[in-house]
Amino acid sequence: MTAGTKIKAKDRDAVIQSLRAGVVPRSGQHLIQVGRAQELDALIKDIDRIGDGGSAIRFVIGEYGSGKTFFLALVRAIALQKKLVTVHADLTPDRRLHASKGQARSLYAELMRNLSTRAKPDGGALSSVVEKFVSSALAEARSRQATPEVIIRERLDHLSEMVGGYDFAEIIAAYWRGHDTGDDVLKSNAVRWLRGEFSTKTDAKKALGVRIIVDDANFYDQLKLFAQFVRLAGYEGFVICLDELVNLYKLANTQARKSNYEQILRILNDSLQGTADGLGFVLGGTPEFLMDTRKGLYSYEALQSRLAENTFAGDGIVDFSHPVIRLASLSQEDLYVLLTKIRHVFFTGNVDAYLISDVEVQGFMQHCFQRVGEAYFRTPRNTITAFINLLAVLEQNPGVSVENLIGKVTIETEQNPDLLPFEQEEDDTPVSDPTLADPGETEADDDLASFKL
Amino acid sequence: MTTLPPSSSNGGQQASSGFQRLHPGVQKWIWQQKWPALRPIQEDAIPPILVGQQDVIISAATAGGKTEAAFLPIFSRLKDATRAGIGTLCISPLKALINDQFRRLSAIGEQLDIAVTPWHGDIDAGRKKRLLKQPSGILIITPESLEALFVNHGPDMTAFFQGLNYLVIDELHAFIGSERGKQLQSLMHRVEQVIRRKVPRIGLSATIGDMGLAAEFLRPGRADQVNLVISEEEGQEIQLQVRGYRKVEPDLEKGLNLGSEVETEQTGDSEDEIDIAAHLFRVLRTETNLIFINSRSAVEAYTDRLRRLSEQQRVPNEFFPHHGSLSKDLREEAEQTLKGDQPANVICTTTLEMGIDVGAVKSIAQVGAPFSVSSTRQRLGRSGRQAGDPAIVRFYISEPEVTPTTPQPDTLHPALVQTIAIVNLMVFKRWCEPPIVTKLHLSTLIQQVLSLIAQYGGVNASQLYQVLCQTGAFRQVTQEMFIKLLRQLGAKDLVQQTHDGVLILGLKGERLVNHYSFYTAFQTPDEYRIVTRGNMLGTLPITSPLFEGMYLIFAGRRWKVLAVDAERKVVDVTRAAAGRVPRFSGDAGFIHDKIRQEMYRIYRADDAPTFLDKTAVDLLREGRENFCRLALDNRCWAKNGKHTLLFCWMGSQVVNTICLLLRTQGLDVGMEGIAILVRDISPERLLEKLEVLVESGPADAVELAAIVEDKVGEKHDCFLSEELLCWNYASSFLDSQGAWDTLKRLTESNN
Repeated sequence: MTAGTKIKAKDRDAVIQSLRAGVVPRSGQHLIQVGRAQELDALIKDIDRIGDGGSAIRFVIGEYGSGKTFFLALVRAIALQKKLVTVHADLTPDRRLHASKGQARSLYAELMRNLSTRAKPDGGALSSVVEKFVSSALAEARSRQATPEVIIRERLDHLSEMVGGYDFAEIIAAYWRGHDTGDDVLKSNAVRWLRGEFSTKTDAKKALGVRIIVDDANFYDQLKLFAQFVRLAGYEGFVICLDELVNLYKLANTQARKSNYEQILRILNDSLQGTADGLGFVLGGTPEFLMDTRKGLYSYEALQSRLAENTFAGDGIVDFSHPVIRLASLSQEDLYVLLTKIRHVFFTGNVDAYLISDVEVQGFMQHCFQRVGEAYFRTPRNTITAFINLLAVLEQNPGVSVENLIGKVTIETEQNPDLLPFEQEEDDTPVSDPTLADPGETEADDDLASFKL
Repeated sequence: MTTLPPSSSNGGQQASSGFQRLHPGVQKWIWQQKWPALRPIQEDAIPPILVGQQDVIISAATAGGKTEAAFLPIFSRLKDATRAGIGTLCISPLKALINDQFRRLSAIGEQLDIAVTPWHGDIDAGRKKRLLKQPSGILIITPESLEALFVNHGPDMTAFFQGLNYLVIDELHAFIGSERGKQLQSLMHRVEQVIRRKVPRIGLSATIGDMGLAAEFLRPGRADQVNLVISEEEGQEIQLQVRGYRKVEPDLEKGLNLGSEVETEQTGDSEDEIDIAAHLFRVLRTETNLIFINSRSAVEAYTDRLRRLSEQQRVPNEFFPHHGSLSKDLREEAEQTLKGDQPANVICTTTLEMGIDVGAVKSIAQVGAPFSVSSTRQRLGRSGRQAGDPAIVRFYISEPEVTPTTPQPDTLHPALVQTIAIVNLMVFKRWCEPPIVTKLHLSTLIQQVLSLIAQYGGVNASQLYQVLCQTGAFRQVTQEMFIKLLRQLGAKDLVQQTHDGVLILGLKGERLVNHYSFYTAFQTPDEYRIVTRGNMLGTLPITSPLFEGMYLIFAGRRWKVLAVDAERKVVDVTRAAAGRVPRFSGDAGFIHDKIRQEMYRIYRADDAPTFLDKTAVDLLREGRENFCRLALDNRCWAKNGKHTLLFCWMGSQVVNTICLLLRTQGLDVGMEGIAILVRDISPERLLEKLEVLVESGPADAVELAAIVEDKVGEKHDCFLSEELLCWNYASSFLDSQGAWDTLKRLTESNN
């Protein structure tokens, strides 16, 4: 652990604030990364392969709260450093891989909104990518004494063999026209089309003269086209990160779920057979999403056979070339290292400013264990939030002793905020307030809170 | 063309103040209707609704102006509102009513440029899709369709309802106490939950005596804060008649006798049945009417008679049957003819009335005694919906001729007296059965659990309990019960749990939820098949508890129950010892205490109601005489050979409980109409046994429920464990305290 490294205030704030809110920080992940070295290596190899023109697909499987999202964010950061373009989105009941009411298109739109490059790691980089392509075409046109339009068509020529490629080229050409004539409206319409924001064909026809739009049926083909496009624009490759795949598992409609799994199969086949060049998929899900033979990926016969575990692996023997990567839960030691790293970041890398000693950190962990048992290190999200709150109080209240504060630490349980009561009952039934300290709850409440079928 | 006086005009005429507060567009529409003034109920309703802070119930007779009273201020508010999404949600029980409501409201809506959309099974998908994309205005929907919206479009519901100003319930009285009503209460709460705020609820109700019941239904726990706007106006005129007929035994051969031709093919038809059919034929032809009969076989029999009468008179047949055992085609045929322009008379079982989704008919006929005031009132409400039309209902009550061998309960002519009691309570006392507050409605809770999980994709146990039970509609369900229920659902693969504790649908649960019938919370109860030694005797609707060793009356004979297969709905019986069996088995449904008490009062009185015909007046007199002859004005029992008849004069809950209590004392019992037959015991010994029961205090209803075999009644009851079924059954069908009080009263008055 490099105790002396300087930590930028910007990184420090990004990390601490995100962790406090229970989300993964957008930058500075390397500061708090713990363990998982081999898994990371495997992903890095994948990224290199994508850079060389190959394809890759990985299912990152880990328990709820085990750090999957963090891992995905780390992978994205590495890909950006290596000059790939990344897009990412979380699946929700409203955003799926296959739909007929626009939920797939809304996934596409979210992906494109989050498009990032090394220069713009926070998303919204779509227009810069298109701009880059057009400028490089311009440069080539000047050197070869040809019109840029011809160069553009040449470059996009082999795209026209792919599904929807011809119209895609039209859109880029429209962008160029707008760029050339100074027609900003045309330019922004072209970008909107690429972002999937046109919902009817008539609108698209009016604005851009093309008769197709990105919709539920063709969004995957659009993604493949875009992967080719970014390479033509000079980037190394295209990585798509999809998280919260458990939302497919939770779909109530059997048919919808099957169609989504079929789509995953299609993606898997394209990757493994190498028909999607320069495109990588990283998908995050829970173990039961993968392995439940009645509702998970394994319920779909073709997926089960392709994703079945290597029979030689297990019990310490690992195989990281398999599409499925299992993230083991953090161990207590890992969590300890993580907390010390967080402490390091919190105090901006200044060891002397630490307000909590190693022993006290261990005391904190002990207290959490008494509160919620093993969950505190297996699903560390809430533990981390509590820890940062503790540090914040320590920082702002110099006189307070650490032991006192540790005694008052509570770990919240996960609740869907939409389902919380929306008005206080005036009669005697107590509303279960999750931030209340322990003694108020009755045993029966505990039974419901920790209900197991 | 009249103008309404301005509010500043002289004197005390504040009558137009409500009008002044309405939006100008609405005022213009009112002017165009050429109304001389707003009706009092409309004046009274406008201020609280416009303010929009309180729940309101508007109560008036049919065509009393309820709809306008609610919707004129609602339209005014919507005109001023700017939020996106549905402005007013109106829930109505029948598709036909929704179509009517739509016609009236869309006329106003068009003028004010506010969208009005009907939504139910018959509305085309394109229209629904358009509304989902651009929600606005007023939505009129059935509870089932609303349930479907939550299940299929869960994530969109917040945006859909975010601008909701009002939640209107049409025909409120029709929902109170039923499974469907419970579902409705749960849906109302879920709407508020999804937008995270309370919405003023407006109930439109017929006049029932105790409006507190309606208020409690509309806003559970806050009934005192509901604003009641009650119309003083006279309701619709009711024309009612109870016709009595004497049933002579079918051994005297009489076929249908029409003038010259004498047909004797149906020797089974007794004279009263022939007469009833003839009268029905005479008064109901050439119009559209509904005829209600208590059992499927009787529906078939009467349809047959009426058809043959039509044939013989060489007129087109206008009579169609409708009951649960008929094929879908035949039922649809009946419904289509009702909706059409040609005269049509549909003969249906009383249990299927919700399935008849049509609007107005001219009159209602009921053959056989009714058993519930609210269902009778609902049936009455189907007739004469146009303003000014009276509601017409005729009851045809057939009582056996009294001979020395007539069973004792029949000599009291209970069917007739029950009918009179119900008419008295309904028309003169404006009474209505109160809902059973302790009822758990576990079947509907199961539906709501699955629906909520489908709506959100997955919910954890404590939030399910919070939304559905703590703050929601199922407040009688304790945590312990809820946990047991969830475990049971897990065992039946209706739900399963992910590793982070969230409950999602199991495979079986998915199949259930994805099926189109899921959204309905109730089902028409199936009749039980009665078999003996492998031969099927027929079917019978069973609403009282069935247990081994009890006595059952069927097809004019007495049987002893050997076994009950609740899953396949089969009862295996064997012939019991001979003895005349009363005709009025009273097994058609659930009777409230007050009805029996009113019957007792009628027996002891001596006036004859004006709505009886001559035969009925005679029968009433006879019944009263026999009442005195059996000394029932002084005693609660009557000797019946070796057995004793016990008369409690209480409703089904109490009687069921007493039957089970007697069983625990080792007695053989059977319910025989208005009395309990206790076999092989003298009245003195019976009284002793009753005293023993009184001394041991009120029994545990849940323990008693364990004796009952046919506890599965509602739609999802089949998924409950035995323990939950006992709880559920006890809460709905048994009344331990009431039974004990009754026994105490009976033993005291006899000593």
